[in-house]
Amino acid sequence: MGERTDVWQGTLALMVLRTLETMGAQHGYGLARRIEQISGDKLQLNYGTLYPALLKLEQEGTIRSHWGVSENNRRAKFYELTKAGQRELRKATAEWEQTTEILARFLAQGGEA
Amino acid sequence: MKTLKAFSRRLRGLLHAHRAENDFAAELDSHVAMHVEDGMSAGLSAEEARRQALIKLGGLEQTRQAYRERVTLVWFENLVRDVRYALRMLVRQRAVTAVAVVSIGLGIGANATIFSMVSRFVLRPAPVGDPSTLLSLQIIPDKESCCNKFSWPLYQDMRDDARSFSSVAAYYDLLPASIGGSGEPERVWGQATTTNFFDTLELPMVLGRSFTNDEDSKQVIVLGEALWRRRFGGDPTIVGSTILLSGRTFTVIGIAPAAFHSIEQILNAQFWVPLGTAAQLVPNLPQKSARDYHWLAIAARMRPEVTRVQVRAELNTLAARFAQSFPATDKGEQFVMEQAGGLQMRDRTSALIFLGALLLVVLLLLAIAAANVANLLFAQAANRQRDMAVRLALGATRARLQRQMLIESTLMATCGGVLGVLLSLWSTRGLSAVKLPAPVPLDLHIGIDWRVLLFCFVLSVLSGVLLGIGPAWAAARPLVASALKGEEALARPGRKLTLRNLLMIAQMAMSVVLLSATVLFLRSLQGAASINIGFNPHGTLIFSVDPRLHGYTAERTVNFLNQLRDRVAALPGVANVVCTDVAPLSGGNRSDGFTAPGESGKKKPFTYADLYMVTPGYFKTLGISLLAGHDFGNDAAGGPRMAVINKTFADRLFHGLNPVGRQVNGPKGPYEIIGVVADVKSRTLGEQTRPILYRSLAQSVESDPSFMGYTLIVKTAGDPAVLSEAVRRQVYALDPAMAIYNEETMEEHVRTAYVLPNLGAALFGIFGSIGVTLATTGLYGVIDYSVSRRTREIGIRIALGARPGTVERLFLRQGLVLTLIALALGWPAAWMLTKIAASLLYGVQPHDAVTFFTVPLLLVAVALGACWIPARRAALVDPIQTLRTE
Repeated sequence: MGERTDVWQGTLALMVLRTLETMGAQHGYGLARRIEQISGDKLQLNYGTLYPALLKLEQEGTIRSHWGVSENNRRAKFYELTKAGQRELRKATAEWEQTTEILARFLAQGGEA
Repeated sequence: MKTLKAFSRRLRGLLHAHRAENDFAAELDSHVAMHVEDGMSAGLSAEEARRQALIKLGGLEQTRQAYRERVTLVWFENLVRDVRYALRMLVRQRAVTAVAVVSIGLGIGANATIFSMVSRFVLRPAPVGDPSTLLSLQIIPDKESCCNKFSWPLYQDMRDDARSFSSVAAYYDLLPASIGGSGEPERVWGQATTTNFFDTLELPMVLGRSFTNDEDSKQVIVLGEALWRRRFGGDPTIVGSTILLSGRTFTVIGIAPAAFHSIEQILNAQFWVPLGTAAQLVPNLPQKSARDYHWLAIAARMRPEVTRVQVRAELNTLAARFAQSFPATDKGEQFVMEQAGGLQMRDRTSALIFLGALLLVVLLLLAIAAANVANLLFAQAANRQRDMAVRLALGATRARLQRQMLIESTLMATCGGVLGVLLSLWSTRGLSAVKLPAPVPLDLHIGIDWRVLLFCFVLSVLSGVLLGIGPAWAAARPLVASALKGEEALARPGRKLTLRNLLMIAQMAMSVVLLSATVLFLRSLQGAASINIGFNPHGTLIFSVDPRLHGYTAERTVNFLNQLRDRVAALPGVANVVCTDVAPLSGGNRSDGFTAPGESGKKKPFTYADLYMVTPGYFKTLGISLLAGHDFGNDAAGGPRMAVINKTFADRLFHGLNPVGRQVNGPKGPYEIIGVVADVKSRTLGEQTRPILYRSLAQSVESDPSFMGYTLIVKTAGDPAVLSEAVRRQVYALDPAMAIYNEETMEEHVRTAYVLPNLGAALFGIFGSIGVTLATTGLYGVIDYSVSRRTREIGIRIALGARPGTVERLFLRQGLVLTLIALALGWPAAWMLTKIAASLLYGVQPHDAVTFFTVPLLLVAVALGACWIPARRAALVDPIQTLRTE
């Protein structure tokens, strides 16, 4: 199954926010599957850790939840991005891009030496 | 921000924890069901699909737990549990809790009381709009250290030239007036202000409006809310109607809020009139054109964009410019500014020393109380060592036990804090009732405000933590093996100087300081009582009237006073009636500089003397003996001016020569000295005897009328208080509108002058006795504990033949050694610290020999007493009993 990576500290929240932005309202199971799928099954996501992370985001006001009905006609709790969540996502994305860019430069420099 | 939001949600989560759990159970169910469905559609069996789903989830129970911890604040739940447990413990150990709460309560109560004074007089901003940008300006004249007011021309220059201010107002800070309205006629104090005064202060009126720019000489008035309610029944239609102020009609235009009694928060002004009308209300008001007459206080509103540094720079520039333009009056002058409403600069240092000394004392008191409670908790920890050992053995961490103990002590201290605040509600009411001897109306009301509450809260929590740390640390590390066997497990073998003994020593040392201060202030009270005030207040009634405030001319004033004297003298029981301007010991008085022809110019250009107006018979009535010459006769108002001087003045000006028949020159011309009288205390009890010049009332009313009105002194053989009604009737018979004020017996008046030594002795007496009582019970506790710990040892000693006396001495010696160490530490500290109090003492030196000799003796005696009770118990130990029970 190739190499699988654990989810880095702090990045799960960003993935959740980004996924909700592209997919719209989604339930926990759907989110978990989607995140794995996007990562090309490279991520070792423990589904159980997703829920406390969702709760934390909800307490911070970046997402909100409501009960709804899934595509298979099952009652499920759906999460969606709030206005504050959109702002938070933009900020986090910018930060993350900057970090990776800096890191990339360092690594590139190491390659030349 | 984000974290804060999450925190509050989680706090709320505590309330809905149960519902959230059910909700999450449903969510988890639907999650697993969806996963199973997907697994089955991929071809797995139902059972295998479920197994896979649960593995992927990481376990149902684990997930639930992780979720639960996020819903609420786990540490908070634990805290609540600990607090609940601590409360149970406190209730179970009622006696210890009660003693601790009362000790801390007394300590916090004392602190709250004193800090409420700090809050009221130092920290509270003036009740005006945005107090931080309102400045008071003052002048520091050339080569002087403190400050003076502004002249009118200087105010105008400041108002017109200073760019830093959006508005500058001037006011004459206190002027008396008689006021109309309901009830007996009354004299009240107010202020005369420039018309922009209330706008500069940004003070909205409760009713009506403040002055407009064109009203400077219009007879309009703003009333204080308190005065409006008291004399006009809070009449809401009063705005627009006219009232009588010193016999003139003024139109009421507004009511100022009750919280405002002047920018100087210590003054109690009750009405405001435009400055242009002040000349009608006050005699001898300075000419507006005089640049060298400093009589106006200044309040300036900073522009919003300007900083204080910029203001200061501009004031310096202006001072330099004024000095150049007006070298005669403004040379060398500096401007100072401060936030309006603080302590006035002139009194600031002494006030801060006074409050600082008091605060130090009450903090010491609290420290003693806290040390006492810490000692109690040590004893309690010893009793609980078994409980602790069991919990440790069962796997509780030390940190958890320590936290538990700390929560208990903090809770205890917080209860003490609540008690303390309750106590201070009562004590501040008592202090607010104290009347200071001062010639002007003061507002000295103190109370508990939010600053005091915050201070008490911080102080209680802090003392709770500090006093709990030692016992908590000790209690959480019992020698588990010993404790479980029921043996002493807190005392480490071979340790002599325990923490408890150290605490004890600190406590006793602090009470040495406190006790020294107490004895010193009691000695000061004694000293004050032996001060010779120089006159006899017995059997004398005084009251004041100010006919000028009712439109009387000088001539009518003298007539009125003469008629009143005759009428009152005719009352049955009245022996004598005389009149003066201000009774002695009123806190302040007029003074002028004098020279004697041929004697002046040697060292000092002027000798300053307090001025009193008197009528013939004044000295006899007050029992002031005539040393040379004679009293005033019925001198003609226009004749040559006569004066009687006191001995100090005579000595100072004439150096032992007989002054009778000589002249002195004052700013208003010469006086001929006709007599010399014995010294009296003029302004305050503690003053160095001041030179005094008495002049004839009849000769002075016209040329130099009194600002404070005139006081009649009625001497009677009987009780002066019963004369009051009859005297009032005589005043109203002459003029029913005449306001009577400052009516009291001379003995009451003199008692007011004793208020400072009394207050000092009362405060320190209370604080000192509390402190010593606490320290003594602390010492008792330590020795008692030591006796109970060593019962078996004592039993063995006695069984081996030790006599009870020997055993008793053993413990007495232990207590004595602790006390002596404490004395060795506390005595020098007291020696150094009492120096601060020097300015507050009457007739004693801060290094008073009696005080520093008696305090150690007193403390040793008390300490021996405290040790004797447990030592006695030790001596009576029955060896058979103790050896059997152990």
